Amino acid sequence: MQGWAGKILDIDLTNGAVRTLPLDMEMARLFLGGRGLGARLLWDLVGPEVEPLAPENVLIFAVGPLTASGAQTSNRFSVSTKSPLTGTGLDANSGGWWGMQFKRTGHDALIVRGKAEHPVLIEITPAGVQIKDATHLWGKTVFETTALLGQDNQKRNVLCIGPAGENRSRMASIMNDGTRALARGGPGAVMGSKNLKAIVVEGDQKNQPEDRERFRFMLYETGKLIKASPITSQAYPEFGTAVVMNVVNEIGALPTRNFLQSQFENAELISGEHMADTILVKNQACWACPIACTRVTKTSHSEGEGPEYETAWAFGAQLGVSDLELIAEANYLCNDLGLDTISTGSTIGCAMELAEHGLIDSSLRFGRGDLLHETIRDIAYRRNLGDELAEGSYRFADSYNASEYSMSSKKLEMPAYDPRGMQGQGLLYATSNRGACHMRGNMLGPEVLALPRLIDRLAYQGKAGIVAVHQNAAALVDSLVICKFTNVAVAEEYFARLLSAVSGLDFTAENLMRVGERTWNMERLYNLREGFTKADDTLPDRMLNDPVEEGPSAGYTVHLEPMLKEYYAFRGWDAQGVPSSKIEGAGIG
Amino acid sequence: MPQVKLFGILRQHAGSPQLIFAGETVRNVLQDLCAGKPELCAAIFTADQTGLRPHIRIMLNGRDIDMLQGFETPVGESDTLAIIPPIAGGFS
Repeated sequence: MQGWAGKILDIDLTNGAVRTLPLDMEMARLFLGGRGLGARLLWDLVGPEVEPLAPENVLIFAVGPLTASGAQTSNRFSVSTKSPLTGTGLDANSGGWWGMQFKRTGHDALIVRGKAEHPVLIEITPAGVQIKDATHLWGKTVFETTALLGQDNQKRNVLCIGPAGENRSRMASIMNDGTRALARGGPGAVMGSKNLKAIVVEGDQKNQPEDRERFRFMLYETGKLIKASPITSQAYPEFGTAVVMNVVNEIGALPTRNFLQSQFENAELISGEHMADTILVKNQACWACPIACTRVTKTSHSEGEGPEYETAWAFGAQLGVSDLELIAEANYLCNDLGLDTISTGSTIGCAMELAEHGLIDSSLRFGRGDLLHETIRDIAYRRNLGDELAEGSYRFADSYNASEYSMSSKKLEMPAYDPRGMQGQGLLYATSNRGACHMRGNMLGPEVLALPRLIDRLAYQGKAGIVAVHQNAAALVDSLVICKFTNVAVAEEYFARLLSAVSGLDFTAENLMRVGERTWNMERLYNLREGFTKADDTLPDRMLNDPVEEGPSAGYTVHLEPMLKEYYAFRGWDAQGVPSSKIEGAGIG
Repeated sequence: MPQVKLFGILRQHAGSPQLIFAGETVRNVLQDLCAGKPELCAAIFTADQTGLRPHIRIMLNGRDIDMLQGFETPVGESDTLAIIPPIAGGFS
């Protein structure tokens, strides 16, 4: 294969049918792979009549044309489905090895439909595709399942759900290679609803670039850029993503105690610097990654991977907890049980606030880190209050007529940046197609770190175009599929040259950015077809009406309405946020 | 006197997460820093000391000095100057 394998594997778990479909190459040119291809296929496969946890929903695992080529960070893949947490179209993506290994089986995507009668696993090897009984694995944790199925990074890779997915927590992740997560939006619950415990892949095919000499040259060039950037060559490997903790706190944008405050008095204790001084054992890399941002850590009781910045925040500042060992162990636990750390932490924070106000009968309180691990287990196994928390913060709070305590947009919990101190981030959260998300673009770059240049984080005029371009760039990177961290050092022009060398087709930075925009519009149209409207492009009332009380962002709320107006205009949408133009070649519009 | 906070790799150059330096403007404080901590100074400024190294940001009380009066921004006794090394978060 050169770029694309040209094949989609289609498995119906209801009747055990396994088919191989040709990849529509025009669709591939327009949407590339990963998130873009997944969004396009989801439009055809899952209509508004389908409930997310019904057999008619599908899981679309997709890689991209660069996957397994050896291009830097070409290990990633995505899963697309209708989200049981948000009801939107969803894609989540992950690194590690599984994506590379799946591509080596000779497929661009795997569609899983239907529901098996009993727990099963799918095994894809050079010998063929098999649906096997997995009754003996049901109830096992992620680490147990991964080990039992013979995970071997270079040869055989395991993707599975844990108890949270089996019990259909709307915050359940799908885990691959043991510790990597397709986390946001509850894809693990969809997998659990299909009685699908695991997908094991072994591949023997190669993604051989069409123009090998040009590809090698481009690898050398992109490698130089990654090495030359102090961010990708030093900051990520040495301190990981949590190095931004102190900085975000410094500007007064670190959400604290369910976004009641925007600075955490103990931010230092949960920062990347403190992690490096205490629990960090070493850094580690995904396949073909020269950056190596993964934290391998060890506490007094356990060892594992992480936490990333968002996780350190979700179990730290968001809960008023400053014990880094306890936070790291909460991370290990979520990986083992198969839970999204951001939504899990933020939902517990929501419960803590409700308990503080006496709205629920619980001993949860801000700062009660001692209750954290048991609460996480309760969510995964749907025990006690955990059964209610497993629904996510919005449904949980709403069941007590208190949805305003859910810090979410489109029911997806907001990540670790208080948008009152970063106005563009507020627009980005409100318009994100899968709900509030920092990986659909992130304004930390332009609003705080001057990447590529500084804009005033507290101003709201003129932000819309920058937000939209960042969103399009994120959609492009998610469709290639590579790691967004490479995009810190490597511009789209280089991606275009790499892709041209691999595929033998001509790509430019301009037409790649159109892929990003096309994908964004595709996702938007999907959500509109599901019944979402402009009214859903919003933020919690606290962000819009309660000014930050203290610190460098004091006095600010998010000025969303004027930014939205500007944003719709920039995207060429009408005043209700409806894309007016057809999507080129997609057969819809 | 103004407090100077350091993050990431800059702490290794300074040997401390925060230091105290004198000065009535950002420029004065940084000059005092360079006089007392040459290794840290070299990590912040270009070799000819005419400008900041790429991706270094300086904030006064949480506001980037480029949004204030740059190096001429007045600094009060109880102010905090934060020097940010090249970093990025989840996705920038």
